[in-house]
Amino acid sequence: MKVKVSIYCIVATVSTMVMLLCGCSPSLPDQYEEATWQLPPDYFSPNNFGATLPPNVAPLNFRIMQGDASKAVSRIHSAKGGEIIVGGWDVNIDEEDWHHLLDKTRGDTLFCDIYLKAYGKWEHLPTQHFLIAEEPIDPYITYRLIRPSYVTYEELTINERCLENFDERVVYENMRFEDSDQGQCINCHLPRDWNRQKESQFHVRQALGGTVFIHGDQVTKVNLKTDSTLSAGVYPAWHPTLNLIAYSVNETGQVFHTLDPQKVEVIDYASDLILYDLDSNTVQHIDHTASEFESFPTWSPDGRTLYYISAHYTPRAENIDADLDANYDQLHYNLFARDFDLQSHRFGPRRLVFDAEAIDKSASQPRVSPDGQYLLFTLADYGQFHIWHKSAELWLLRLNSLTPDLSSLTPDPSPNGEGSSYFFSCILAPQVITPLSIRRGVGGEAAPLETGVGGEAGADSYHSWSSNGRWILFSSRRDDGNYTRLYISYFDKDGQVHKPFRLPQRSPDNDDLLLRSYNVAEFLLQPVQPTERQLRRAIKSDAHPATYTGSALLHPEADSTAVLPARPAEERRGESIAY
Amino acid sequence: MSNSKAYLTLVFAAFTLFLLLGPLQPFLRETAALTPFYATGVSLGKLMGRPCGLLLYVASGLQSCFAIPWLGAGLFTILLVAVAFALKWAFRVSDAWFGLCWVPSFALLVNFTQLGYLIYTLKHPAVAFADPLGFLTAFCLMGLWYRLKDWQWKLVFLLLVPTVGYWLLGFFGALVAPFLGFCELAIARFSLFDHPSEKRGGTHWVWGVLLFFVGCLLTAFTRAIIFPSFSYEVGHLAFTNAQRDFRIPGIIALVYPSLFACFRFRGKKPWMTTVAAVVFAVAGLATFYYSFRDPNFLNILRMKHAAEAGQWEQVLKIAKTGKEEPTRAQVCLTRLALFKTGRMGDELFTFPEGSAAYNAPQNQWLRLMIGPLLYYHYGKLGFAYRWAMEDLVEYGERPAYLRYLHRVAQLNGEEALARRYERTLARTLLYRLSVAHTCANQDADSSSIRPLLNYTDQLDGDNGLVEFYLLNSFALSEGGSREMVELSLMDGLITKNLTGFWSRFLALLPTWEDHIPTHYQEAALMVAQLQGGAPVSNLPIDPVIQQRFQRLVEASARNGDNAANAFALRPEFGDTYWYYYFFVEGLKTN
Repeated sequence: MKVKVSIYCIVATVSTMVMLLCGCSPSLPDQYEEATWQLPPDYFSPNNFGATLPPNVAPLNFRIMQGDASKAVSRIHSAKGGEIIVGGWDVNIDEEDWHHLLDKTRGDTLFCDIYLKAYGKWEHLPTQHFLIAEEPIDPYITYRLIRPSYVTYEELTINERCLENFDERVVYENMRFEDSDQGQCINCHLPRDWNRQKESQFHVRQALGGTVFIHGDQVTKVNLKTDSTLSAGVYPAWHPTLNLIAYSVNETGQVFHTLDPQKVEVIDYASDLILYDLDSNTVQHIDHTASEFESFPTWSPDGRTLYYISAHYTPRAENIDADLDANYDQLHYNLFARDFDLQSHRFGPRRLVFDAEAIDKSASQPRVSPDGQYLLFTLADYGQFHIWHKSAELWLLRLNSLTPDLSSLTPDPSPNGEGSSYFFSCILAPQVITPLSIRRGVGGEAAPLETGVGGEAGADSYHSWSSNGRWILFSSRRDDGNYTRLYISYFDKDGQVHKPFRLPQRSPDNDDLLLRSYNVAEFLLQPVQPTERQLRRAIKSDAHPATYTGSALLHPEADSTAVLPARPAEERRGESIAY
Repeated sequence: MSNSKAYLTLVFAAFTLFLLLGPLQPFLRETAALTPFYATGVSLGKLMGRPCGLLLYVASGLQSCFAIPWLGAGLFTILLVAVAFALKWAFRVSDAWFGLCWVPSFALLVNFTQLGYLIYTLKHPAVAFADPLGFLTAFCLMGLWYRLKDWQWKLVFLLLVPTVGYWLLGFFGALVAPFLGFCELAIARFSLFDHPSEKRGGTHWVWGVLLFFVGCLLTAFTRAIIFPSFSYEVGHLAFTNAQRDFRIPGIIALVYPSLFACFRFRGKKPWMTTVAAVVFAVAGLATFYYSFRDPNFLNILRMKHAAEAGQWEQVLKIAKTGKEEPTRAQVCLTRLALFKTGRMGDELFTFPEGSAAYNAPQNQWLRLMIGPLLYYHYGKLGFAYRWAMEDLVEYGERPAYLRYLHRVAQLNGEEALARRYERTLARTLLYRLSVAHTCANQDADSSSIRPLLNYTDQLDGDNGLVEFYLLNSFALSEGGSREMVELSLMDGLITKNLTGFWSRFLALLPTWEDHIPTHYQEAALMVAQLQGGAPVSNLPIDPVIQQRFQRLVEASARNGDNAANAFALRPEFGDTYWYYYFFVEGLKTN
């Protein structure tokens, strides 16, 4: 008898739960009318519709503005079959169903139909869509979370996020050593070769400062500041094949606008480039000229060319800081390159790649695509710290070829007489420059998006390429002009940039309530290996001091800073490359 | 409830409410403004990812009720009463000794009311409610332990409290097991003392050792494996070494209950009630004595709240009625109110002037308390935003900072950014009501601030010296709107920089119609006297002012040295610019 009662109880409970679940599951309306009203731009938050998605990305959950409607049902479906139906204003899509649907829809279109019930009648909004690319995206990204702050800083984290789901973990958090007399700043977590070999680096400033190198689960800390260099390494660039990292060294300051909504200017009062050899723990100068402010180095994929930005500065007053503060908008950075010999580790003379000054602009953060065909950089009105510049946009420079015609090269003996070195100057002549209209929508079209994600002029700044070169991850303040969010754009084989989507979040509130910025985001093929404990232990230990060993130039005495056109910019404007 | 219990409860509640809703009411409102509580799943989820997250979420939610002072004070009082009753329940204290149970409640009350200026710099989301809530939970858990009969349940308690307890309650969860271990060992060792559990002997040794060592180990393990970046103290209101005096109430609340572990407080004899009542009274008096009731501090808060509500007359009323020498923060708020009411030129030097030290350890209190407010109202929007953001970075997402970030974004025309701040502020529990109230004044604010934005942007820095920067930026500026020229004129007078006086004065002259503000008339006479060559005779200077100036010149010639003049002339000329120019010196502008 007891057993029977128990069985009845279980059956009754299960059936009730099933009935409740069935009752709760959303269903599409049988009858509806087509909505005729215009959707406001912020009707969906975030509005990723129209974007091209990787087939392995996490669900793009979104929120529908409620308005007068009382109910909402969304149907996400593919022409190749399969659908997901989600009820409610927060469209939280089941991860498993989403991946199944995306997998089916590779290379095709994913549709989203939204039905609203208002005043007892159902309406169908215009069908939205996503394009699903064939090529997957690297599964992880790393970034720093920081408040868009000025001088003070408190809690900073270097995070790692899986793009295939919503898992996020803190790689390192600076408050570990909060009891120190000084605070601790952390920045520039940069993987080598998309972390294929589990190698990356980041900087620790002030308390227990140094540059942290990660190799598998091995962690070491190095002090890159030497008596002969301006500072420790700042903006890094891993050499793709050799154990070398190019860094800028910068003397950076901040000054504040009294009225301009750009709020702050981050100015370099001096900067150089150095080359760090991980094997010998030595530092060499690459560019070391007082009148040239070099920064943001980056290597070509074959490791034979180093691109960077540089501004020519002629002091107008004795106090350089005051002079630059007063004339901050007169400092324009151009793109330069130096050839690099893989055997001798020497650099050739510099050459101008893109004369931004000639068009009254300033370039920053160059990054070459993995196939070596494109140079992606940020262009704004002046300066180099474009995250604070509302005029900042991503631009693309199409490079002629990165495959040198070896037959045309003449051997150039290395300075120490050992072996020979080859410099491929003039091969990388820039041919086409196009504004990369990521901010506006599909590449090439300068019209604002119909369903734009925000009305603010938003600095598009730091960017990186995925390992397959098909995805561009970039930070942007387009949403509100102040808090940087991450966007991802598809870059197709024809060199067209597709409408970006914002980094998927489990809830729209995550972005909305997060009063922090995403900073220096990079793709990773696999997670960072060391645990926080291992990192903490390494950071607590003493930093190995690097040794300075002179110049890395082939002919240091004939450094070609004179390459900078001697004529004023206004004279050169007529010669500027088409843009 | 026995009579003595009811009386003590009523007396405590009345005392607490009197203290909080009487002199400390502005302090409660400011505490609410500095409480970062947002009623969202995301906020809760983030806090739950760290130890003490639940306690801090609940405590900051309760604390945000200080935005409606009677509600917040009521909740705080109920919580403190509950702490006393929980202590009584946990250790089975008799009614006669009940007065002793109030000491931790008084300590926790003063733990909050002693803070004063420190509420700005303590990086804790719930300075008032976290400790009482933590102790209440800890006492309840201790009471529960003594009521567990079966060893199996005790084992479950031993496993859960140091682990889950540390996660949910932080320091207070970690505290319970070692404290109970100490209690059990005390029972076992000092068997002459009777104990609530009514048992002595071997089991107490075993449980004492287990609770103490296993409890500590489990908490250490939980922290090391799951929350390695957090201290054991997480959740507890901690002070730096420089603020060590502030630790005393917290230590009392922590150590005092151990008395109940070692001694038996039972019985019903009248002397017990008397002793307990005396302890209660002493604790109450100490609480009142050590509560921070500095008149200048409370006046700054009153003036600030009035300014934020656009009640400029109220600001001036508070400034006039202050009996102490004012701090620079009060002087700055007074000047702002005079500017807003258009009475600056007539009354500025009639208000109390001074630079009384802030009754707190050295810090940039003016900037921390009213920096963004001053910059916002004087049209230095970049700096208002900057300092609100700097403080948000350092001290957390407090609504007080978001309010200025929001207002600046609105005036800057950054609509999307303003909406983001608006949405965030809308998630506050009750503070949004006070924001909604003050938002009604926002249009008035905007229309009075816009004329001050008529200048060319520049890169600058203030080193946190708000008053110094504002005075100099206006005193050294040229041109701009009528309001800016008047501020230039007045700030030139305040900084005693008379260069450009006549050009500003003459530029404003047509706008004054039939009455030149008194202080400007005084200044015109004085500058003409000092520099000569000015056309004072052509100006419509009031003959009364002219005669008064003449009297000043004669009197100062009679008296002799400056110090003697300053003293002698103050009664007659203390409300004039002349007196300020010649005799008010050494004021610190911060």
